[in-house]
Amino acid sequence: MKLPDGRLLRSRVVSDPRTVLVDALDRRVTGYAVLEPQGSLLLDDDGRGVLTFADGVPVVAYHTGSERGGPPALADLAASGPYRLDLYAVRSGALDAVHDHEVFRIPPGMAAERLVGDQSLADRTRKVAPGDRTVERARDEESGGERSVGAVEAFLDDERKIEAIREQAREEAQERAREWGFDEVS
Amino acid sequence: MVEAFAVASGKGGTGKTTSTLALGMALAEEYDVTVVDADMGMANLLFHADLADVETTLHDVLVEGGVPVEAAVYRRHGMRVVPCGTSLGDFAAADPTRLREVVATLAADTDVILLDSAATLSSRAAVLPIVLADRVVVVLEPTIPALSDGLKVQEYASSYDTGTAGILFNKVRDGDAIDRIAPKAERYFEGSTLASVPASDAVRAARRAGQPLLAYAPESTAAAAYRQAASALSVRDRDSGAVADRFRSAVVPESP
Repeated sequence: MKLPDGRLLRSRVVSDPRTVLVDALDRRVTGYAVLEPQGSLLLDDDGRGVLTFADGVPVVAYHTGSERGGPPALADLAASGPYRLDLYAVRSGALDAVHDHEVFRIPPGMAAERLVGDQSLADRTRKVAPGDRTVERARDEESGGERSVGAVEAFLDDERKIEAIREQAREEAQERAREWGFDEVS
Repeated sequence: MVEAFAVASGKGGTGKTTSTLALGMALAEEYDVTVVDADMGMANLLFHADLADVETTLHDVLVEGGVPVEAAVYRRHGMRVVPCGTSLGDFAAADPTRLREVVATLAADTDVILLDSAATLSSRAAVLPIVLADRVVVVLEPTIPALSDGLKVQEYASSYDTGTAGILFNKVRDGDAIDRIAPKAERYFEGSTLASVPASDAVRAARRAGQPLLAYAPESTAAAAYRQAASALSVRDRDSGAVADRFRSAVVPESP
């Protein structure tokens, strides 16, 4: 996916992708965010996630590591923070070619709802979404919500990622058990 | 017999307290149930269970030279309920490690102990209920962060030899395709899906009324789902004395 050059609005490390969604929505950004996981869970998972926005509302998700777009790309981005975040603004229309990739598109509230788990942010995003995107959302729901739950299903289908999350939690639990003196508990 | 369950999620807002009280009331139809607000830093169970005005809470039990736990036990809705106070000053003075003795004492005289746990895994006080429990009930929402945090809870639990009794999907909406999500999630959890509880106005109304869901709206679909979850939860028949001894012998150092 070829992204147009943009004006850098923000560059910093964030713990949670929620920050970028709130930022883009509040500033009604038309542009894109590049999220690069720091200290990635999977050693070979060195890809970056791209989320594009039109007037603050997410349109396309893509992951350069898995080369997947749409809801599965959100799953690829999940649970691998902290992230290096670069948020760019572009001129109106500069992302049209990217947004034409139908399979890369995500419903307006999906990133907030599924990736971040913030229902009120999802509702707020949907309210801001233009009418034609709302229709897109309604179609998704009519078709059994297949796309709206796609990110969660893609996450659960990624056995390697789940195992990496579990492995990291196990190590963390054991480390903390020693730190907190729980190691002799049985 | 007695078995202690920690109702946990690792993430806030999943409806743990609502779930704890709903499971407690449903289980109370068959068992002698004691519910403990073990979320000592962010206690809220008292607001859900007609206990907002009580004077003595778990905090008063956990301070040095505190009152016996019996003084903080209240009979509500067919259960024994041990609420926790909301003062941060009291939380600072309380020694969470005394919870072990509290659970051991309660275990002598009940069938089921439900520990409403903290929405975090970042402190010793927050993890302690999971350490003390026999098994966890993991409360999930069909979102990536909730599932990810639920998996972390399970790994923490198994690190302390605490099993997983099952998973409970909460705040489930029509478009969530839970019939597809739940089986996929189950592959990663030790226990099966106890129930899928629908998002419900009745839950919010019950919370506003300061009552447990099963008391406020017993005929709601959410209440029915919790009853289904309770019947899917097989309580193990174990000797109270042995369990109490296990709690007492859990090696938890004194606060520094």
